[in-house]
Amino acid sequence: MNLFLKGGEVASEEGAPESADVWIEDGIIKAVGHLAVEPEGARVIDCTGKVIMPGMFDAHVHFREPGQEAKETIKDGTEAAINGGITGVVMMPNTSPAIDSPTVVNRVLEQGRKCRIPVYTSGCITVGREGHEMAPIAGLKEAGVLMLTDDGDAVPNAALLRRAMEYASDFEMFFASHCEDPQLAGLRALNEGEVSYRLGIQGTPALAEEICMDRDIRIAHATSTYLHIQHVSSALGMETIRWWRDERGAKVSGEVSPHHLMFADEDIGDYDTHYKMNPPLRTREDNAKLLQGLKDGVFRIIATDHAPHTEFEKSQAFVDAPNGITGLDTAVVSLFDRFISQGEFGWDLLVKRYSAEPRRMMNLEVAEVVEGKTADLIVFDPQGETTFTKEFMKSKSSNTPFLNQTLKGSVDLVILKDELLLER
Amino acid sequence: MARKDFLDIESLDSEEIIPLLDQAVPFKDLFTRSVKKVPALKGKTVLMLFYEPSTRTLSSFEVAAKRLSADVIIFDVPHSSVTKGESVRDTIDTLQAMRADYIVVRHRLSGQPAAIARQTGASVINAGDGAHAHPTQALLDAFTFREVFPEMERKKVLIMGDILHSRVARSTSLILKKLGVEVAFCGPGSLLPQTQFRRFTNYEEAMAWGPDVVYLLRVQKERQDAPFFPSDREYHQVYGLTDERLARIAGEGIYVMHPGPINRGVELCDAVLDYERCLISQQVENGIATRMAVLFGLKPTKS
Repeated sequence: MNLFLKGGEVASEEGAPESADVWIEDGIIKAVGHLAVEPEGARVIDCTGKVIMPGMFDAHVHFREPGQEAKETIKDGTEAAINGGITGVVMMPNTSPAIDSPTVVNRVLEQGRKCRIPVYTSGCITVGREGHEMAPIAGLKEAGVLMLTDDGDAVPNAALLRRAMEYASDFEMFFASHCEDPQLAGLRALNEGEVSYRLGIQGTPALAEEICMDRDIRIAHATSTYLHIQHVSSALGMETIRWWRDERGAKVSGEVSPHHLMFADEDIGDYDTHYKMNPPLRTREDNAKLLQGLKDGVFRIIATDHAPHTEFEKSQAFVDAPNGITGLDTAVVSLFDRFISQGEFGWDLLVKRYSAEPRRMMNLEVAEVVEGKTADLIVFDPQGETTFTKEFMKSKSSNTPFLNQTLKGSVDLVILKDELLLER
Repeated sequence: MARKDFLDIESLDSEEIIPLLDQAVPFKDLFTRSVKKVPALKGKTVLMLFYEPSTRTLSSFEVAAKRLSADVIIFDVPHSSVTKGESVRDTIDTLQAMRADYIVVRHRLSGQPAAIARQTGASVINAGDGAHAHPTQALLDAFTFREVFPEMERKKVLIMGDILHSRVARSTSLILKKLGVEVAFCGPGSLLPQTQFRRFTNYEEAMAWGPDVVYLLRVQKERQDAPFFPSDREYHQVYGLTDERLARIAGEGIYVMHPGPINRGVELCDAVLDYERCLISQQVENGIATRMAVLFGLKPTKS
């Protein structure tokens, strides 16, 4: 493959995009800059007015395989990622069976190798994510697990979490926490507040998340472990991360999902299950503060928490419907529509928080649009628009608030190594 | 009233509520006649779908439907496929074949009647869903209140007890507010969420507010997954209508309401039931008339 992307703006982690042509040959970026002559034999793609940036990386996805393939498969999940401009993912281990043994890791990674983008996986901290016994951490590491988490639940037993962190210290493995005190959390259907009272459903207070965050960071700090806090929904919880990091030098980072930046509990309206996820949507005030935190750098990464569920499951009564929304098809376009196009933040933030930092966190090579690097990039059209119909989205499920909505921006090209994965 | 469903109070405005209350008046007048039936819903079918136990609401709807000459089917949920794990959605698809014109639903989950309403062309009436809404209870409460106080504006109602778990508190407070009544809540702090209404955790302070009606709620133990107060005895002493408190209430001429079923010795003492300004049995009778008005006023979309 010999491609010449002509006249685009190349975005990176630092600064504003700079206009440059990009020449890719045999999967390698041969040149970035203004070329005097078009490379011979190259297919020329006009990128005038478009943004060329590294492929995104989502460190928090639920691909449901093995066990719940009606919701999603690894194949469909990766196609949704490509559709949304994402060229690498880390799976969460709450499959059925859970990803808690080298056997399951091998099976998942084998399925992943059949896909068009790299698939990585996290592994459980405890066997079956049940919080009783430590998972075989050395074996998981050996099999290729990048990160340990019981995502979907917190580790309920603080002593066990501490021991796991101490034990894992030799394996250069880091931990990620889904923070939630189960008793305080209760039903886990929506945020506790005016909306939960109005709808007559027991709410989950932000306190349930914040208290566990503090607990887990204290344990990690005491054991000198790097801890990543997943899907932060509460502004006060975010301040907990900031305080430990800045005031105590704790090795802690945070993650924010697009939906916790964009939506609040009041959007649930009349029991719309497309706004039901865990941790739940909080308030507009939390939205604004989390966005500020993202700009301030409290959040190391953006991740979708892509959580597909079937239409039938989501059509049940609000309490019965499962938690989670899809995100891979929609993340980049929605972040552009809601924030970048509004001047809230620039392309550099998107590249840093949704491409470079998540790869760094996972000890993977960072994708960059610079000469000599492997081609791993996307072309985005800010003048375009995207309508998220079921047919458009490649995820097996379509449980997203953006269903049938038209947003500004369009992912036009996805290029990985020697392959043009997507062309629109 | 051209609406298809009757799901909550929130979506009603006073222009819809007052005609419903007015419509219930002639229905109530029927009850003193020898023939209590009218042919309004002759040939129509009302399906009762009660996923939660109920005595008074179920029989109240049954009587209301029969007095309108409708055919009534009571779907026996405890002995149905529901116990075999059938989802509500699939049950409704099956029941569509019965071509009911009205479906009266009670469910433990908030929002379930609304979900059913979206799925069927039949008129769906919410007979209580989780802690969300109990709109026909609210309507009968407003009707009863209006019988006592025809000028409702600026009267005061104190709703007392387990506000957190009560769908009655939610719906009745809203309907009264829409009719110009002042509403306040009183109860233990653990059962008293922050809402738009004034909030008292102290009984004496609440009574000093000067309510015209004290509306007692049952403590809903079945909805509590953790203890919210130490004991029934302590609850009765601190928040119950004790004999001493009843004496003061009677002295001030304050009316007492309760949606039932009552827990004697918890939210009220036995003597309350003999108190001349206790409106509990009047509420039950009015329940039939107001439910007739609701059934009569709804318009199913399918033939």
